[in-house]
Amino acid sequence: MFRINFEADVLLALVGQQELGSAWLHPISYAIRNALTQGVPIDNIVLLLLLPLVAAVIAASRHLIGLRGFGIFLPAALSAVFVATGPVVGIGLFLVIVTVSTFSRMLLRRLRVKLQYLPRMALILLVVVLAVLAILFVGPQIFGRRELAEVSIFPVIILVLLAEDFTRAQLGKSIRIAASLTVETLILALMSFVFLSLSALQEFALLNPEIYLLMVLGLDLFLGTYSGLRLLEIWRFRKLIRN
Amino acid sequence: MHLSSILGLNARFQLYSYPSNSRRGRKVAGSKLLTKRILRKAEIPIPEIYAKFTTQEDIYNFDWTKLPERFAFKPSRGLGGEGIVVVRKKATRHSSSGQVEWITTQRTRVGIEDLKLHGMDILEGAYSAGNVPDNAFIEEFVGRNKAFRRYAYRGTPDIRVIVYNKVPVMAMLRLPTRESSGRANIHQGALGVGVDIATGVTTHAVWHGNLIRFKPGSKRKLHGIKIPQWNRILEIATACSEPIGLGYLGVDVVLHPEKGPMVLEVNAEPGLEIQLANIAGLRRRLDRVEGLYVESTQQGVQIAKALFASSFAARVRAEAEGGKTVNIFEMIKIQGGQGQKIEVQAKVDSGAWRTSVDWTLAEKLGLLKESNILGTRKVRNPLGEERRPIIGLTFWLGGKKISTAAGVSFRGHLKKKVIIGRRDLTGFLVQPH
Repeated sequence: MFRINFEADVLLALVGQQELGSAWLHPISYAIRNALTQGVPIDNIVLLLLLPLVAAVIAASRHLIGLRGFGIFLPAALSAVFVATGPVVGIGLFLVIVTVSTFSRMLLRRLRVKLQYLPRMALILLVVVLAVLAILFVGPQIFGRRELAEVSIFPVIILVLLAEDFTRAQLGKSIRIAASLTVETLILALMSFVFLSLSALQEFALLNPEIYLLMVLGLDLFLGTYSGLRLLEIWRFRKLIRN
Repeated sequence: MHLSSILGLNARFQLYSYPSNSRRGRKVAGSKLLTKRILRKAEIPIPEIYAKFTTQEDIYNFDWTKLPERFAFKPSRGLGGEGIVVVRKKATRHSSSGQVEWITTQRTRVGIEDLKLHGMDILEGAYSAGNVPDNAFIEEFVGRNKAFRRYAYRGTPDIRVIVYNKVPVMAMLRLPTRESSGRANIHQGALGVGVDIATGVTTHAVWHGNLIRFKPGSKRKLHGIKIPQWNRILEIATACSEPIGLGYLGVDVVLHPEKGPMVLEVNAEPGLEIQLANIAGLRRRLDRVEGLYVESTQQGVQIAKALFASSFAARVRAEAEGGKTVNIFEMIKIQGGQGQKIEVQAKVDSGAWRTSVDWTLAEKLGLLKESNILGTRKVRNPLGEERRPIIGLTFWLGGKKISTAAGVSFRGHLKKKVIIGRRDLTGFLVQPH
């Protein structure tokens, strides 16, 4: 299965073998080494180091390709959830939560239950929590998936809370746009997940944090000043170009 | 068209919307109520406001029964036309509890309780970006101008004008459809119809990103619609730029059936679909007006009309002045001796002075009768001189009846048996190809 493995031992060994030069040139490397000897888990450091890259990748797919998604927070949070739960369980839970929240919202409208916004949101969260509980309860027995039982609670809570953002993002939009935004968000999250789990990238970020962070910085600056057409815009305006 | 003529989202923000728009302007554009206050001060026409709600008490204390037949209930910071309830008339039957009810443009019934709840939702921020608390207001209902009656489904169409550097660079008519449920919002399925800046005549139409020719589900052409009061629309749209403090903006103008054009709202980052509707790149147009020194609104409109006129603009303008365009070869109708009408091909020839008809054709039509001959004229030919008759001739060209004195000549070997000389072409424009 496609599942992230922080091979902590391998990474630790790599850090141990690395010979560092002056502390002026490698301040972050020394800081990382220090943190490791203090007992900070290496996965935390790697995840933290890779997060700026994930954010930059999401920004790049917005500004160079034109994938919209729901902002930067949602896909980044989702990818972190995928790292914690594994992509299959993560996507499954995510889809269940999105469907349940959408349906309960539609049901409320159909039943003409008129509630104010925040109470309505709270009610939807309640339904979502019930659905997640049902899955956690039934899932391991029926599907025989051990992972479901072992899932830690924080990713699940993040997923549940994301339901609000999704419902809100759907509010002003047609079903088609909401659906395409959801799919785009999923694509972005999966892409970010892949970046998070590439072992070459993990090693590079850990061993050369200064160069790596400068590169991310450069990418951010480039993206921020890029004023050309996005890939999907070329497609959108293809009729203009042909003319 | 080259890629660099097209405006994308990245360039819109970085090159135009961000550098040209002040912070204050953006803030004003984000709030319909603020926009209205500033536009009223600048004496730009806007729909009248009946009521404003900033707190829950306002909603409770407002006398809802005093509302008129028709009105629109809107959030101040609503996005994409969301959260707007437009009421068309009072319901004839009251609700079961005996209260007043209205019929919306979507043909649903709303009562006072529904409106109050909707107002609460708005104040709570259910329709604003980021769900920040919002204000609500009730304003005058702007009906559909009769020019658009046959093109729009239920709702009121509006005209989006993009203004940059005080020049109206591009415009689009937005027609609500069944799918957009009466909203003039492109992303909700409304039609975008490009408009020629010089004349206010529609050109192309897009629906869901595809070019279309007819109103969906009908055979009604979407091009060639003449938008009334076009100059005024461009002027009030352009006039919004300065008081609001936006150098690059989209202005939404509605055409009130009696009161004329009014500004509904302004947009600091107007959508890009307008390029498809006009089959024209916005970036190139923006480049052309960048850095121009524009003194007044009128001058800005003149610049736009000169720079962005479509190829048919000259023709439309001349026709507006009473001219009619004809091609070199035109079918005309000739009245015969017995009053019968015959269709023949004619050649429009501004090199000839007098209209002339082929001898055989004239004879056949009975135009060479003694009574129809007005005189003769001398004609030189290789064999010397001869006299030919001048006859009375009545014909129809481009729908216009022309009675004239025509010559008779031998055109038997030629395809067009009639040529029309410039004596009879007053008021026509000749299209030379």
